[in-house]
Amino acid sequence: MTLAEKTIAYEREELLTGCQAVAQAVRLADVDVIAAYPIRPYTEVMDNLSRIIADGQLDAEYIVADSEHSQFEIVKHASSVGARAFAGSSGTGWMYGFEALVVTATDRLPVLFLVGNRALDDPGAFGVEHNDALAIRDMGWLLCWATTAQEALEHVLIGYRVAEDPRVRMPMALALDGAFLTHSQHMVRVPAAETVRRFLPPFDLGDRRLHPDNPISIAPQVNEDWVMELRRQNWEAARRARRVIEQAYREFNELFGERYGTPFFDEYMTDDAEVVLVGLGTVAMPARTAVRRLREHGHRVGYVNLRWFRPFPGPELRASLARFRAVGVIDRDFAHGSPDDGGVLLHEVRSCLYPLPERPQVLNFLTGLGGRDISIDDVTSMYEQTLAAGRGRALEPAVRWIGVREEAARGVPEERRP
Amino acid sequence: MIKRVEINYRGIYQKTLARRIGSDLVLIASRLGKVAFSNGRYSDAPERDGIPCKYFVFVSPDLPEEELEAECGAKLDIDVADVSIVLDDTMVKGVEPWAWHGVRPINEKVSADGCLLVVTRREPTQLLAFIAAKPHPYRLATLEGDASLSGLWVFKDDLTHERVLGAVAAVDPGIVTIDAVADYLADEGREPRRAEAARTAHAATVQRIRPVAPDAGISWTYAIPELPAWDAFGEGVAVPGVERRSELGPGGQARNAGFPRGTTKTERPVVRFDLCTRCTLCWLECPDGCFDPTADEYYDVAYAYCTGCGKCAAVCPVKECIVMVDELRFEDTASPWAAYRRDPAAYLAWAEGKKGPERRSYAHITGTGVEVRPAPAVRARRTRKEVATR
Repeated sequence: MTLAEKTIAYEREELLTGCQAVAQAVRLADVDVIAAYPIRPYTEVMDNLSRIIADGQLDAEYIVADSEHSQFEIVKHASSVGARAFAGSSGTGWMYGFEALVVTATDRLPVLFLVGNRALDDPGAFGVEHNDALAIRDMGWLLCWATTAQEALEHVLIGYRVAEDPRVRMPMALALDGAFLTHSQHMVRVPAAETVRRFLPPFDLGDRRLHPDNPISIAPQVNEDWVMELRRQNWEAARRARRVIEQAYREFNELFGERYGTPFFDEYMTDDAEVVLVGLGTVAMPARTAVRRLREHGHRVGYVNLRWFRPFPGPELRASLARFRAVGVIDRDFAHGSPDDGGVLLHEVRSCLYPLPERPQVLNFLTGLGGRDISIDDVTSMYEQTLAAGRGRALEPAVRWIGVREEAARGVPEERRP
Repeated sequence: MIKRVEINYRGIYQKTLARRIGSDLVLIASRLGKVAFSNGRYSDAPERDGIPCKYFVFVSPDLPEEELEAECGAKLDIDVADVSIVLDDTMVKGVEPWAWHGVRPINEKVSADGCLLVVTRREPTQLLAFIAAKPHPYRLATLEGDASLSGLWVFKDDLTHERVLGAVAAVDPGIVTIDAVADYLADEGREPRRAEAARTAHAATVQRIRPVAPDAGISWTYAIPELPAWDAFGEGVAVPGVERRSELGPGGQARNAGFPRGTTKTERPVVRFDLCTRCTLCWLECPDGCFDPTADEYYDVAYAYCTGCGKCAAVCPVKECIVMVDELRFEDTASPWAAYRRDPAAYLAWAEGKKGPERRSYAHITGTGVEVRPAPAVRARRTRKEVATR
């Protein structure tokens, strides 16, 4: 008898937005301390959590902070005394609390944060862009994207499980595309609390728990005497996280049914593919639809939906992408002045491919910035360009803008105008 | 096959109502074995008082969820709607959610054979006097009722939500059927009056669907500003400001023609210039700077820019001098001061005609609704000798 046969994995189906799904997961994770400060699109998470607590469905401290910086410091300190803590933010709010985010990672406190991806002001914009969450990529955080409300719910649970593992103990950022995921209502299966408890044991910080009975001092001034060794420890933790993530998915699949094939990324119709696109977040929806339609016309294309950005699945992604003639990397972010002026994901993927003796051609598409939609036609065009590159044609430029108004090509179709 | 529903609602007051209607359509369609989801137009700012916003519902009997999501969910707006619901009938005068959108006709997205479903107490012909002509036929249905505030939790539940569900089943049973709506509303724990309200609204709406012929309605021109390409505007997020201009008379103050915001209003201030004491309060207090000083020291109203907040009427110290009046009683945004100057007696008669015999005031106490009183008697004053220039 397997574990799944002994348990009820999902107890009911509810209509939930991405934000509401995250709030339900925080309830299921039995979080102890929540700190809140509003910024769209994250706000709906804190709204729903306050209601869940008011309705008596969750017993947690709910602290409304005076800013994101305080909000993030509150959960950091709560975590240090052994509380399972949750916070979230978006865009510039997330950036405002950045100092607290960095120390949370250095202090190895496994708080879970929801990042509702939002363009960084200025200029004012509510829509999705990934630079907010990506800014944390070098700071010792776990960073992962969900593409559906169901995945969002489940990755709060997987996130705590990985973050709190004694081999890891790193903060976790779960990113959801603003609007397209945070504010879209879908039918979501809500796991049974009993099964969640089996998957996610109580948080135990062990001998690092700050308590009068356990006198310790966290983060004193150490200067050059200790910093490098601390960095090495955190480097090792990020390396160890990969195996912990794999184990977490294995056990999640055992308890909740075969939800996830591979932990770090999903492949769609890649078996015989000539070229693939790689992307993060909800662009998977138009991309997979474009794949199905292009295949009806005989084009061998596939899609790789990258889920975990930190730790980056270097060997796994390298092995996967080595099979294709060309790879198009979709960046819903920017990295101005970077090598070839491509996006953040381009550099990660290209660097990951470098050790291969024979590398696929790599193109980069900068698109969907500031919340602009990425249509099925946009993705189809990216596939056509990547197919051409795979056949050795039209390799330059390596970095291409999709869906930007350009004076030179001013024939913008009317339906695409804002 | 995809059915697309849009719910046009007014910001903050109807936000929850629109979302509840959207959620329930998804849940009912799901019970019918269809795939469905809903979302709001994310670029809207529905917390803003009175702003026209949209909520969407997408239903398919045959597409997998991801395909439906790719077609509809990864987009900010829809191209066509099978049903466009209008929860506040003053929105038939057009909707402008943000700058650079233009004032769009309320039926812009309605498909051929689609249906515009308006909650109103007016007759279809009265509504069509404001609605743009379309090149193709469509249907217009009316559901009798007021612009509901029930979605704001401090207001009374008035069953608009259930009645709209019934009406949607009447105008397009391919989205949800009335039996499915009623079954859903009759589920355990709910009062029977909810399902009854939906059934009654369904029966009434079936009788109130009328075809609209191509070209029926008014000629409507709206300019969607063509936004500049990246290589055609200045750097550093610096956009040209509104050129400063401050002259006397109608339109004398410079305003942002790219975002007049006039479709935010449900009522507009009607001014009795003969009663005006020239105290300046309306001009000082208007949050949107809609009053233009005139050479004879009155204040003209730029109605295209007025958001109908009612502050001018609230601060005006003179009884009956500024009164807020239902926006659907007006055909245009022409200068009231110019009309008064042309023919004072005719203007005053027109203004009183628009104001009508009743005055409405909105409750400050939860659930007590709208108070309607007879208009107080005010003697017409003689038009003072005007100062042409000073």
